[in-house]
Amino acid sequence: MKINPAFVEKVLTRFIREELGRAGFKKGILGLSGGLDSAVCAALAARALGPRQVLGLIMPYATAFGDDVRDAERLATALGIRRRTIDIAPQVDAYFARYPTRSRVLRGNKMARERMSILYDFSAREGALILGTSNKSELLIGYGTIHGDTACAINPLGDLYKTQIRELGAHLGLPEAILKKRPTAGLWPGQTDEGELGLSYAELDGILFALVDERKSRRETIGAGFKAAAVDKVRAMIKASEFKRRMPPLAKVSTRTIGLDFLYPYDWGK
Amino acid sequence: MKIALAQIAPRLGDVPRNLALHREWIRAARKEKADLLVFPELSLTGYVLRDLVEEVALDPGRSPIVQELAALSRGMTIVVGFVEEKRDDPGLFYNAAACFGEGRLLHIHRKVYLPTGGMFEERRFFAAGRDFRPFRAPFGRAGLLICRDFLQLGAAYLQLVGGAEVLVVISSSPGRGLGPEESFISNRMWDLMGQALSMFTSSFVVYCNRVGVEEGMTFAGGSFIYGPRGELLDKAAELEPGLLVQTIDLTAVRDARRKWGYHREERPEVILHALERTIRSHED
Repeated sequence: MKINPAFVEKVLTRFIREELGRAGFKKGILGLSGGLDSAVCAALAARALGPRQVLGLIMPYATAFGDDVRDAERLATALGIRRRTIDIAPQVDAYFARYPTRSRVLRGNKMARERMSILYDFSAREGALILGTSNKSELLIGYGTIHGDTACAINPLGDLYKTQIRELGAHLGLPEAILKKRPTAGLWPGQTDEGELGLSYAELDGILFALVDERKSRRETIGAGFKAAAVDKVRAMIKASEFKRRMPPLAKVSTRTIGLDFLYPYDWGK
Repeated sequence: MKIALAQIAPRLGDVPRNLALHREWIRAARKEKADLLVFPELSLTGYVLRDLVEEVALDPGRSPIVQELAALSRGMTIVVGFVEEKRDDPGLFYNAAACFGEGRLLHIHRKVYLPTGGMFEERRFFAAGRDFRPFRAPFGRAGLLICRDFLQLGAAYLQLVGGAEVLVVISSSPGRGLGPEESFISNRMWDLMGQALSMFTSSFVVYCNRVGVEEGMTFAGGSFIYGPRGELLDKAAELEPGLLVQTIDLTAVRDARRKWGYHREERPEVILHALERTIRSHED
């Protein structure tokens, strides 16, 4: 679980530079939430591409999450990257005026997808490739909105657990306010990941590392000192969210089918 | 003699561009007066080819690229990695290493151990080679191994029994596994094997790994040369492209084999006998 942050920085900046350059881009764009993951991603991108080649979009809903917006703005200034703040309230409100709901999850998912749609629009306007900020912890348990915050062109953070990203963030010299912030999906004010999951990230990452990286069985994971209920919960979440990590299944009828026997590399000819 | 390792980052699926890259590094190695220049596994094509395998394959008997590399090998032995499809073996694609020297193609090794499972899927796209055969290179007896071949004990054993003095290993090893070290955990296995095999085969082990990023995987570099007493002679940086140049004294092999009897004690006929018995008595 322990990482060498300087080495990880080297690998990830190289990844960003090479994958972006190969796709024909010089600029990167990402959503800045004021949280840890997007801050780490922005800092890596600034080092990989040069700060002026990175655009951070801050996309609050009206005045909710005011502190996060301020943290995101301060971070952008500190990193020297370009930033732009876009209030998503008008487009979200317009939709829910027609199809009202009281579900916080539905509203939160809609907001995540509005942010995605703005990111893709600005990606085209700016000629900038979208950098994803989903980490391994949340990807594995499906703690993200499909076609929302998980949508991106390349993701430098997807193979690092949250606790590892915090280590990396400290190495990158991110402000205390961001390093110490309680992780939240930001679907509604007051929501925290750990509160909602009923697990600390230390526990969650410990269980995930045992199950996924070390390929331990349920029994071995419990034997390593984790509560059975927690292990079962995490296993169930991993299983239930596989669809968020995959391209949708395609009905095979021909002899050569995309994804099954039509298999070209992503970096084909780039 | 002088050995040069070209720790390069080939462009995936772009043979003309990679050939140009080879020309550049051949020029650089010639300037260094290298006697042997080694490129990584699949250096002419890139690694994660999948269905591109058949589009980048070369027939050594007919390919102008192979002819050009042969011509460039006057005065300097060159080892490259490529995809082979022969006219008399159509439809079979091999992950292959070619050794050029004295202006001609001297030897081809086809990767025998194709990692398939986990992140690797070579057996899906490549046919497997069937032999490990040392050959006479201009500088001495050499054995070629490709990446996973090197991690399988039997492969190096056969090279030793065949009298190889220099084991040339070409590799495209993606870095994986993080720890407190400033390195991928996976790089340790290459070093470990390099050290052990050079010492216990009393031969030079020359390992050339690539760098660069493909499909999110970072190739780790860290190419190295071990001497016949298990001593590290030189090691390239991880992740960074570069030409590693090292002078070696090939008489050190004779010296090591005189002092340490591993090679002299070899009993391949015992191994063969025991293997035959093991295979015969194997029950499914």
